[in-house]
Amino acid sequence: MEKNLKNLANKVAKELEEVKDSKFLADLKTKYLGRKGELAIILKGLKDLSVSEKPRVGQLANEVKKELTIIFNKAERVWQGQDSDDLDFDPTLPGDKKEQGHIHPSTIVQYEIEDAFSKMGFNIYDGPQLESDYYNFTALNIPEDHPARDTQDTFWVEGKNLLRTHTSNLQVRMLEKHGAPFRGIFPGRVFRYESTDASHDHTFYQLEGLMVDKDINIGNLIATMKTLLSAVFKTDVDVRLRPGFFPFVEPGFEMDIKCLVCEGEGCSVCKQSGWLELMPCGMVHPKVLEAAGVDSKEYSGFAFGLGLTRMTMMKYRIDDIRLLQSGDLRFLKQF
Amino acid sequence: MYLSVNWIKDWVKLPKDITPQQLAHDLTMSTVEVEEVIDQAASLENIVVGKIKEITKHPQADRLQVCQVSLGNKEAQIVCGGDNLANGMLVAVAKVGSKVRWHGEGDWITLEDVKIRGVKSAGMIAAASEIGLGNLFASKSEKEILDLSKFNLKVGENLASALGLDDFIIDVDNKSINHRPDLWGQYGLAREIAAIYRTKLKDYDVAAIKGKEDIKLKVNVKDKDKCFRYLALAIKNITVGPSPWWLQTRLQSVGIRPINNIVDVTNFVMYELGQPMHAFDAGQIDKNQIEIKTAKKGEKFVTLDGEKRKLAEDYLMIADGKKYVALAGIMGGQNSEINSDTKDIILESANFKAANIRRTSTALGLRSESSARFEKSLDPVIAEYAIKKATELILELNKEAQIASKLVDIDNNPFTEVNLKIEEKLINDRFGVVIPQKEIQDILTRLQFGVKYKDGNFDVKVPSFRATKDISIPEDLVEEVARIYGYDNIQAGLPRATIQEPTIDVALRAVKDIRYWLSCAQSHVEVYNYPFANLAWTEKLGLEIKNHIKVSNSFSPELQYLNTSLLTNLFARAEDNLRFFDQVKIFELDRVFDKHEKSVYAVDHGKKKFLPKQDKHLAGVVAANLPAEIAFLQVKGLVEDLQKHWGIDWTWESVDLAHSNLAYQIKHQDVVLGHCGILKSNLLDSGAKQTQATWWEFNFSQLVKYINQNQFYQAISKFPSIDRDIALLVDKDIQWVDLEVEIYKVSSLIVAVDPFDIFTGKGVPAGKKSLAFHITLRSPEKTLESEDADLLVKEIVSILSKKFKAIHRK
Repeated sequence: MEKNLKNLANKVAKELEEVKDSKFLADLKTKYLGRKGELAIILKGLKDLSVSEKPRVGQLANEVKKELTIIFNKAERVWQGQDSDDLDFDPTLPGDKKEQGHIHPSTIVQYEIEDAFSKMGFNIYDGPQLESDYYNFTALNIPEDHPARDTQDTFWVEGKNLLRTHTSNLQVRMLEKHGAPFRGIFPGRVFRYESTDASHDHTFYQLEGLMVDKDINIGNLIATMKTLLSAVFKTDVDVRLRPGFFPFVEPGFEMDIKCLVCEGEGCSVCKQSGWLELMPCGMVHPKVLEAAGVDSKEYSGFAFGLGLTRMTMMKYRIDDIRLLQSGDLRFLKQF
Repeated sequence: MYLSVNWIKDWVKLPKDITPQQLAHDLTMSTVEVEEVIDQAASLENIVVGKIKEITKHPQADRLQVCQVSLGNKEAQIVCGGDNLANGMLVAVAKVGSKVRWHGEGDWITLEDVKIRGVKSAGMIAAASEIGLGNLFASKSEKEILDLSKFNLKVGENLASALGLDDFIIDVDNKSINHRPDLWGQYGLAREIAAIYRTKLKDYDVAAIKGKEDIKLKVNVKDKDKCFRYLALAIKNITVGPSPWWLQTRLQSVGIRPINNIVDVTNFVMYELGQPMHAFDAGQIDKNQIEIKTAKKGEKFVTLDGEKRKLAEDYLMIADGKKYVALAGIMGGQNSEINSDTKDIILESANFKAANIRRTSTALGLRSESSARFEKSLDPVIAEYAIKKATELILELNKEAQIASKLVDIDNNPFTEVNLKIEEKLINDRFGVVIPQKEIQDILTRLQFGVKYKDGNFDVKVPSFRATKDISIPEDLVEEVARIYGYDNIQAGLPRATIQEPTIDVALRAVKDIRYWLSCAQSHVEVYNYPFANLAWTEKLGLEIKNHIKVSNSFSPELQYLNTSLLTNLFARAEDNLRFFDQVKIFELDRVFDKHEKSVYAVDHGKKKFLPKQDKHLAGVVAANLPAEIAFLQVKGLVEDLQKHWGIDWTWESVDLAHSNLAYQIKHQDVVLGHCGILKSNLLDSGAKQTQATWWEFNFSQLVKYINQNQFYQAISKFPSIDRDIALLVDKDIQWVDLEVEIYKVSSLIVAVDPFDIFTGKGVPAGKKSLAFHITLRSPEKTLESEDADLLVKEIVSILSKKFKAIHRK
């Protein structure tokens, strides 16, 4: 009997989970607390108990009754008016707030761009950040004493290695590994030896692209980038090429994108020019193909270096690059 | 590099209607990157030539005068404090609305109509530095106003046009001409402009030099592999003085301060042809003898900026019979500098090896206009044009001057003629559009290439000024044709590509998966940190600095060592954020760097040496005001969830870590995959807040190898389960894990055991704890009866009583 009493509360709790409306609840209350309810039935057994047991079990029964009454009262409050169309509460109260995690904005942008490239058959690759002079410079037709090394101020580390200055370090690595034809992108972290301000950081992110196949031409580069950027920016974009010098491409270009803010009319964002500098690119230099053991007579290709950090800042209109690596939750929780 | 539009016009006729802005745009689209177009006259707007008519003392101020100034068609009253004011003087009048800088410093201010000590003043009579002309007009005192009387100027005329300061300057980004040694002078840019607009470029004609023997110049090039050409000429009877106005304004346009009529000429030639030159005071050159040789280690030399430079053995030097007189191609020496007493000079026009100049100037940290040009690989042919042009100008500016020596020319030009054969097809294939053969030929000719066409091939002779390294392969010619033809004319078309085998990198997929899982399922925020170790936390975590890879050229202590653990920065970020949040849950996934182990990445093509190991790590830190037990069970829960998420087979092992009160290492067989623990509370600075910090870090590159790719579905049981709760009293120090093992041993019907209530204190005897847990029972074969469950409960209680002296609480 004692056990039955104790189980009663558990049983009620279980059954309450099944309650769908106030009618059901009322029936349930009758079932347990009614005059012929389960509690009443158990209590009928009281008279059969020994004198010594009676007070103890009686007290327990009272406690159980009290407990059940409380449970039912509470449930009734919850279900009150629930099946009427008059909702008696303030719906303007704020919704429940769940604790949220957040992905870094650069990650979000990186994955968006990766998706677009993947759909065009570009594989995604990854490689070392601490790099050798050979793969970061020499293999890319930037020998020692080349003035182009000036434009990529470098963190050197012990052992004559360096922190890669661009994701281009993977061009020769990946071509060596996978051979031609090749279509891939290499997103990742790069480093420049320079002091930081609102628009410069010594650590930032790029996304390198490389396509090598037979008969690849400049028109292919423009069309590929236009298509991809339209997908990323979710609107038709216009791009233009102008000369740019990078030793590992020939010809080399700067690709500009028609200003998305003013649509080319000229505004403060594009410094009235109607165009924004977007990324360096070009046709892969024959020496780079050869460094990777690819026959430059048979194959040609294009390469480009998209500034992921820049794209992230453009997308979210972030005006201080340092926020991205501040770890500041006031910033990161916005994404 | 500044391009002066007026200067360019000396050499090329610009088409009508081409504005400087249009020119800048067209250059950008075909040749170089333009930073900005500067309108020289804009800064001199509303500044006119005035003539002082009358000067009276200011009634209220001793040091001020009141001037009546004629501005041509009208007069103005201006209060002025100049100490050289004179009647009839021509002055620069900055009218109301013009921009000036007080004493040539600080911000530009727009002038307004004002009263100065009660007297009306309509503008100001300017000092040179106040209107940005300090470079052109030296002043003796701060109070000296600009005296224009020496010029023949019309009163009332705009100062900019009156002085010829109405140029447009196009600022070319140096980065974009790194590969073009020919574009470091106005003439080279004029050549490009002529090619773009199909207009004629004037030939660079220079007069031949008729040598004399008054001074016997001896030049000895000892290091022929570092000095490709050396031309020298002595000129006597020089009168050093200011340059004529036209020369001064030319230099002003390209941002050079005029100095004297010798130095200005060498600078002029450098800015016109791109060829750096040097002039020595011949009186200081011992025995008219010049030697080009490398320095010895430890020698010293004072450059003309007054700095004493320490030399190393491969530095190329210019010496006379006794001493060094110049750091070749970088900077002259103080000992042979042109000064006001110089009578005879020796002109130098040379060509030095680019790599050597670059190495020396980098080592010395001494960059000059000269070294910037030499390191681009200049054409040795130009050196001769330069010295002839300079001689012509010096003789023109010094009527008394005479050539005093033979033109010495030591020519060791290593650059051979570059002839390239290029298929017409290659140009069209790379371009993706057919350019008529005649058009290709015309473009190359305009760029001064020699072109012959035969049977689908062009035979191209590269002009010497493009042949020092710039143009060396057929692809270089593709660019030449394409950029002048216009990139706008390219037909964009998606490539026809071979279908590739998809390479799906399991590790990269895991990166993506875990970032979403941690943020979605575990409410963690992803942070990006720098790769450098946070030094304070490196110490707190007991990570030894000697195990970190050092950055050799770090400029800040915080950028000195590469991280071996992501935790150093994560803990620092947690501290930062605790100022604004009560709870921080952050994670990071990136590479760390191992000084002692090798990675899979080869150093070079030979694949004999390997880079240091740089595995990816995955780490997280949680800081919150929680009891230690809850904080720890939370981090443990996260790690267990991760294990379930990826189905990795691993074990826990308690470890002692000095920085943590409790720590575990997580292993797959013998491989350590990661650690987690609860940090000693005094290590984390959380301000006034009570905070427990927990942490976990995995070697992600290792971890992903053990992801179970074969996680299969388990059939849902056809039979219901039965739950039972059991409450026990046990000794306080009995650990749950021991009980759990015993419980599971009782029967295979037990599918889950889950503690839900553990407490000590009221109602529980001292040294004991109350422990309640659910068990879930299920049989794969039948529906269990209540009696089966009761029997099992009894058995469990009995076994636990026996083994742990547990007392069943009913």
